[in-house]
Amino acid sequence: MLHSFPGKGATMTLKSSRREFLSAGLMLPVAAAASNTGLLQATDKALGKPTNSPVKLDHRTLGKTGLNLTTLGFGCMITSDPSVITRAADLGINYFDTARVYQHGNNERMVGAALAAKRKQLILSTKSISGDKAALLKDLDTSLAELKTDYVDIWYLHAKDKPTEIRDDMIEAQHIARQQGKIRFAGMSTHALPEMLEWTAQKKAFDVVLTVYNFAMDPAMEKAIAAVAATGTGVVAMKVMAGGFRSLKPTDPVAAKLHRDGAMLSALKWVLSKPNIGTTIPSMTDMDQLDENLRAMSEPFSTRDEKILSAHLEQIKPLYCRMCGQCDGACQKGLQVANTLRILAYADGYRQFALARERFQELPAHHAAVRCGDCTECSVKCPFGVQVSARMARAQELFA
Amino acid sequence: MTVQQRISWPRNFKVSGLAAWSETHPKPALCQGMTSVMPKSRPKSSGALAPEVLFPLQVLLVLICLTLATQPAHAQAYLDCHFVPGWEQSGAKRQYTPDNLFDYRDGAAEGYLIFSFARMQGIDCQSGSTTLAIDVSDMTDADSAYGMFASNRDPNQPIAKIGMGGQLLAQSLLFAKGKYFVEIIQTDGSPTADQTATLQAFAAKMAQLLDGRDTPPETLQWFLSENQTSARLVPESVLGLKILRRGYVAKYSEGQAFIVLEDTPESAAEVMNKLRARYPDSSPAQIADDAFQAKAPYLDGICIFRKGRYIAGYTNLSDASAATAQATQLAPRIP
Repeated sequence: MLHSFPGKGATMTLKSSRREFLSAGLMLPVAAAASNTGLLQATDKALGKPTNSPVKLDHRTLGKTGLNLTTLGFGCMITSDPSVITRAADLGINYFDTARVYQHGNNERMVGAALAAKRKQLILSTKSISGDKAALLKDLDTSLAELKTDYVDIWYLHAKDKPTEIRDDMIEAQHIARQQGKIRFAGMSTHALPEMLEWTAQKKAFDVVLTVYNFAMDPAMEKAIAAVAATGTGVVAMKVMAGGFRSLKPTDPVAAKLHRDGAMLSALKWVLSKPNIGTTIPSMTDMDQLDENLRAMSEPFSTRDEKILSAHLEQIKPLYCRMCGQCDGACQKGLQVANTLRILAYADGYRQFALARERFQELPAHHAAVRCGDCTECSVKCPFGVQVSARMARAQELFA
Repeated sequence: MTVQQRISWPRNFKVSGLAAWSETHPKPALCQGMTSVMPKSRPKSSGALAPEVLFPLQVLLVLICLTLATQPAHAQAYLDCHFVPGWEQSGAKRQYTPDNLFDYRDGAAEGYLIFSFARMQGIDCQSGSTTLAIDVSDMTDADSAYGMFASNRDPNQPIAKIGMGGQLLAQSLLFAKGKYFVEIIQTDGSPTADQTATLQAFAAKMAQLLDGRDTPPETLQWFLSENQTSARLVPESVLGLKILRRGYVAKYSEGQAFIVLEDTPESAAEVMNKLRARYPDSSPAQIADDAFQAKAPYLDGICIFRKGRYIAGYTNLSDASAATAQATQLAPRIP
């Protein structure tokens, strides 16, 4: 089956299916060539009460940085109490990520307090969303003060989803910060795949890229990540649980099923099965999530995990377009159905609302005027069960 | 209270403008298809409602729909760059929901979602080369709005008396009023500019227009105030423990106190049993309905007690007896 992923100018194609995409994780060794493992005494859910079960730590080298990171990092954004972060460090997790804007700086303050005693043994990253050199450098000084450290290991330009959002003076700010010893490596975080990854691979301006990556994404993303990793750029994955889990209401039976089946852990293990990913930064609220996520470093992605994630994909079947092209020319109003559904997937599947709206507006002008609700019957019948009329109507509601 | 008294008309509402306004504001689900239940002629079926019964129902439904449908316009009245002379709106108003807040706030969006975020509306105001971003978030209820404020304020800076609480810095102002959390932040302009007068002027006007209470959550008053450095709502996993689902935490120069409300005294007792099981080396304490003290990893000296539906206590003190002494003072303050 042919998948295409036309960003600006149809950039890549990939022969695979989403099912194969999931299965691919089974064929890859969990521990990539650059990884190594170690054992550490674990604690159980009794908040630090020692047990006899060891935690197996898995490390990988992050691109050319040489940083040796645990494959499970720690996204501190919504952590409820600093004790969770401290305990993660005690258990051997060595990579922690925060950002200047999280809770208007309170998150950096909490991370700094939680990790101060072990700072030199840990890899710490933060981000700034500011848009010019002076503001960036000012943010960095504030971050260092709040984190109670005189340097961060990785400093990301935060949430850059278009090449035009990265100006030369911003990259200059990272150079200055490195010369001053305030940062060790320069990074950039993005949600816009594959375009920003392709741009990064060409630009080679960053040591590390922090990117959205999870099992629910288009299989073509794997190619984009491989391309940027091939340049020696370290790749850190975020939103590895596929944000859709969080968007489900707790009362939603699907959410309950996903939690019961351990889908969160399966999703994390799937990402860790990809050798081009240096590490991950799932958000962890409490001790229980930390305990569960630690298992991802010792348990390989299995057929059971694949079944769990496939079941989840089955849930989104009426929404997910396989880009088979069988609907080409089928719409009586001349709409580009497959393209529109792909664009809608940016918003609904990957939370890329702005990108989706932008792509929709690039479609031929008559798209904006058509309303699928005006047709009494839809002439497009998807062989895979996608509810075309409803999905097209949603795209028109969101973007037109 | 009559239906009419319950109607909250928007300040900028005009009957003649309703048709145009309703085009941009979809009807609430309740009102979808409303016209289909408003027959133009007497129903032929003997089982249908008589006009004398149906008409009041129709009127009631229309009033309910108007009440629901006018709420967005009411909220938008809080956003106006002209509240302060010399400022003009730049660009269109923006609106975000839980589905697309990530596009505006990126990863920080999760910090809103855990506080019951429902919707955000915002505008950019410009004066010369300075831009202020003003965003008003509907956090569903006042406790969550205050929780969002307390989580985002700088604990090293004082709280200003704006709404339930605010914080004014040189280039930013946060406050909570009712269910609304308001952020006014300089996004463009001199990094050394002092915008406090402008920020205060905007906040004063907005606080007047925003509905809802202007007193902090009552629970915060129960914490001992001496040596308290901050207090906040923890929306999930108090003390990092999933079983303590949601509650308030007050930090002190030494240690911290917490108060969690459970659904019933029975469910609170069940949580206490699970907590006790986590600390098998704990010893009983004589506080309220049930209590224990222990030395715990990462929480140091702890004392946890139950009083009715509440679970509360002290942690991070040098030893368990110090925690128990503090908890003994806290317990009588909880009703």
